[in-house]
Amino acid sequence: MNSHISEIVVTGYSAISAAGIGIAAIQELGRRGGDALTAIPSDVLGSDGYRWGKVDGFKASDYMSPMKARKMDRCSQFAVAVAGLALKDAGLDLKGLPPERVGIALGSGFCGVSNSAEFLTGYFTGGVEGMIPMIFPNTVPNSPASNASIEHGFKGPNVTLVQRFCSAESAFMMACRYIEEGRADVMLTGGSDELIPLIIKGVKAMGQITHTSAPFGEGCGIVVLESAAHAARREAAVKAYVEAITTIGMLASGREHEGLDLLTGSADSCSLVSLSGTATDMPELLDRVSGRPVIDTGFVIGRSLAMGGTAMAALLVSLQPGQPALHLAASQKGPYFAIRFSGGSSV
Amino acid sequence: MIRKRVVITGLGIFCGVGKSVAEFSEALCSGRSGIQPLDLFDVSPFPSKIGSQIKGYDPLNYFDTKIARKLSRTDQFGVIAAGEALRDSGGTDNYSPYDMGVSMGGGAAGMFQGEIWLKAHLEGREERPSLLRGILQDQTSTDIARIYNLSGYQGTVTTACSSSATSIGWAADLVACGRQKLMVAGGADTLSILTFAGFNSLRVVDPHPCAPFSLGRQGISLGEGAAFMVLEREEDAFARGARIYGAVLGYAIAGEAHHMTAPEPGGTVAARVLCEALERAAVDVSQVGWVNAHGTGTPLNDVVESNAMKQVFGERAPMVPLISTKGMTGHCLGAAGAIEAVATVIALNRHIIPQTLNYRGPDPGCDLEYCHYGSRLTDSTIAMSNSFAFGGNVTSLVLSL
Repeated sequence: MNSHISEIVVTGYSAISAAGIGIAAIQELGRRGGDALTAIPSDVLGSDGYRWGKVDGFKASDYMSPMKARKMDRCSQFAVAVAGLALKDAGLDLKGLPPERVGIALGSGFCGVSNSAEFLTGYFTGGVEGMIPMIFPNTVPNSPASNASIEHGFKGPNVTLVQRFCSAESAFMMACRYIEEGRADVMLTGGSDELIPLIIKGVKAMGQITHTSAPFGEGCGIVVLESAAHAARREAAVKAYVEAITTIGMLASGREHEGLDLLTGSADSCSLVSLSGTATDMPELLDRVSGRPVIDTGFVIGRSLAMGGTAMAALLVSLQPGQPALHLAASQKGPYFAIRFSGGSSV
Repeated sequence: MIRKRVVITGLGIFCGVGKSVAEFSEALCSGRSGIQPLDLFDVSPFPSKIGSQIKGYDPLNYFDTKIARKLSRTDQFGVIAAGEALRDSGGTDNYSPYDMGVSMGGGAAGMFQGEIWLKAHLEGREERPSLLRGILQDQTSTDIARIYNLSGYQGTVTTACSSSATSIGWAADLVACGRQKLMVAGGADTLSILTFAGFNSLRVVDPHPCAPFSLGRQGISLGEGAAFMVLEREEDAFARGARIYGAVLGYAIAGEAHHMTAPEPGGTVAARVLCEALERAAVDVSQVGWVNAHGTGTPLNDVVESNAMKQVFGERAPMVPLISTKGMTGHCLGAAGAIEAVATVIALNRHIIPQTLNYRGPDPGCDLEYCHYGSRLTDSTIAMSNSFAFGGNVTSLVLSL
């Protein structure tokens, strides 16, 4: 499914990851070398040798009142904070905009799972007296997008998607469409995810964590998209142009090459590639972009289901003016996304 | 990008009041409710002990043992309902697998199975890890795509109770603008301890069958199920001689940015969403015959939705029935929007406006027409279906014959 996108620009981005606060922390990590992964405490998985990309040094009360922070799940705290940082990066003052023209589309990883587990643990161990009603509203995966909209006042399209390791790219596609259709002038898009020991235990139980598998991570990455006309009206610096989005859900049996052709088309023109999700694990996908410089944030900050927002931000911040780039995202058995960008005039 | 008219060529539903479109249609027309005592898990600690559970469900009637063990209850419902819709449509042989996709809305997903794993974990017991396979909402769409060989778009909206209405609007757009030739769109969700205990802890579950827009209503009745519709461009459907049930004319979504659980009391954002949906559908308010409400039966939501109706329809509001099918199906959370959209399409085809069940008397805050006394015959060809959700998400679909 190929869609050429016209007139949508990127004017801001930010992230919180294991590397630190802001996209500059990932850039710095790239320059310095190494990774931001730390050891998973041995009592979590019952043995040593596993690593994860946990966010340290994030204090939610730096971005909202302590009372609000207490009510929110960690994914929501990340989303509220990163949305504010991304808006600042875009130079957007929402006071001057009709709130219904600003929306948010986020990908969710394990958002809501920690609160669900806490609520249920209260019930299973203490019966109805053990339930904490305040937790329940934030058991839904859309709480990060909704809390961000409540805190920042976005009253436009508001949506959350979960689709394996392509959750953020799924949200990105919808955000672009909402601008293209004229439903919004500004869309914040990306993904948020969190890791708790119970999630790690569950993922390990399903056989998805081994000593050789890529480590899981947490955090949030958000990109600010605007219609080109809107960005021009406010004389915003354009950091990148969105050129095209292609996605397929899975590779049809016996027609795998056709699927990959549809997905990547001719990758000749791109001179920088970012990989997200499990794209790194797919040789047949990597063949199509061989020889190009690759940014693979998963190895340095950990993979997450909604890591695409951070991965795209890391790509975009590296773009030179006019430079064509390709963001490839994949999950083991689909879906797959190919998103093309070109560098803006003021990167 | 040229938008084309998107038509509905297949329907599928599996819920507490009917395990097929035929059974569900009979219940819809006769006003039969599926709300009854629950036995899926222990509900004795809670004030409410009822809901719309799919009773007598044996997965082995639909799947072999190996697959049944692998799929969560939600995944199974989704696969069953999507299968009915796809078989009804008969459209899958006409397109490349890459031109066909799935868009669905999820809610608690495989939480029912996940709870078994968590409880065992807390008690220091081992349970099979596959109980966690469906814990995230995307598993159902992945299973539907794999089982029915749909290799195109694959996406899962998770905006709580508006998820599956949004998924239908989004799927219709993917077809309208030519990005996909065929989409199966809908939602699936099941009862779980999490949602049952959670809503009870918030004291929004009625101990009696929910009574939308009625005096003395105390909240929701929970339900479970799945519903899907197959969407294609009208010209493609005509070309292959498909049966056409109706059309998805347009949709709109927004976030209220007000509160995680309480609706914006004036209903202004909801009214804006309804108006935008009509505008995008190129439908005038005078053309709308009736509205399938979110209509949960909570004291506040029903008043807010009624207020929104007045803002949209003005003086005509009392003449546009605002009905709720939740007295029949219960509130099916992530599947609610899809179940209500399918109910709306069925009702349009039967030329009826369904009854809002469980009437307990007139509420001064709900002073519109709700069809409390019975279903009505109608010659209306256009209806709307509303969905509201935790987080302030609002979706409205415009559907037609």
